[in-house]
Amino acid sequence: MNDHRVKGVDHAAFPTFDPAATVRFYRDTLKFPVVHSICAAGWGPDDHPDFIHFFFDIGNDDRIAFFYYFGLEPVHAHGRGDVYAGFGPDVPDFFVNSRHLAIHVDSEEDLLEYRRRLDASDWPCEMQVMHETIESIYTHDPNGYMVELTRALRPVTPQEDLDAELTIDALCEVAAEPDPSLEKLLTRKAELIVERAATWEPAVSR
Amino acid sequence: MTAIFVLDVPENEGVVRVAEQDAQLQVEKVGPYFRIDAGGGEIVIDRRATGCRHAVWYSALAGLQDARVAQHDKDALRVVRR
Repeated sequence: MNDHRVKGVDHAAFPTFDPAATVRFYRDTLKFPVVHSICAAGWGPDDHPDFIHFFFDIGNDDRIAFFYYFGLEPVHAHGRGDVYAGFGPDVPDFFVNSRHLAIHVDSEEDLLEYRRRLDASDWPCEMQVMHETIESIYTHDPNGYMVELTRALRPVTPQEDLDAELTIDALCEVAAEPDPSLEKLLTRKAELIVERAATWEPAVSR
Repeated sequence: MTAIFVLDVPENEGVVRVAEQDAQLQVEKVGPYFRIDAGGGEIVIDRRATGCRHAVWYSALAGLQDARVAQHDKDALRVVRR
């Protein structure tokens, strides 16, 4: 019996204060179909406003969703971050830029098609990057959320799954100790490689 | 026995090739990893000689045995005895 039963993202939900721009970005620019919406009167606690919950198809039957709350003013005035979370000058850029949604495409042609759509809009591609084994484009949506579109440069190999397991086991050990560092992780990982990788063989495909 | 491990994936081929061409270094296979041993000396890999682009270069190191990274920048990876 397969114990890993989940089937990907049903929906990931975010608040918006600008539904018109959000629709222009996701539906009109990226051409993600609107596939569902809920018009809801305030419910539950007395202070819950009326709201619209609306969904865009991001492929594979997965969806990105938004909440628009009538009468709610922006919850912070920071210039950095997104409409959900703002950050002051003390928070470094790499941290502010860490949280994002990455949407998969199958080919370079598809990636460049989305780049064309973005570049013709008010939200042009900000960055196109060749990572280790993926290539990605990035922009921020009208709400300040970072959106990545990405393609695999090659399939993931079985040894990369083993490598990831060893990394995570080493990370959990090192992060539980004082002063975790990359050097400590790589030192522990070398021990795990000797213990477990020497006799490792790729699983036979079923 | 100062040594590093590098995973056997196509992106890391340049690192392994440069190590194999260095008479000071011994390269052996440990499962799906390459173990690059400096004996009692240092491991120095020139990034440009590997042809690795930056994202690959900065994530090529999988393990450190009796080793400390003294330099890992756009020019070189230098690993010394700990």
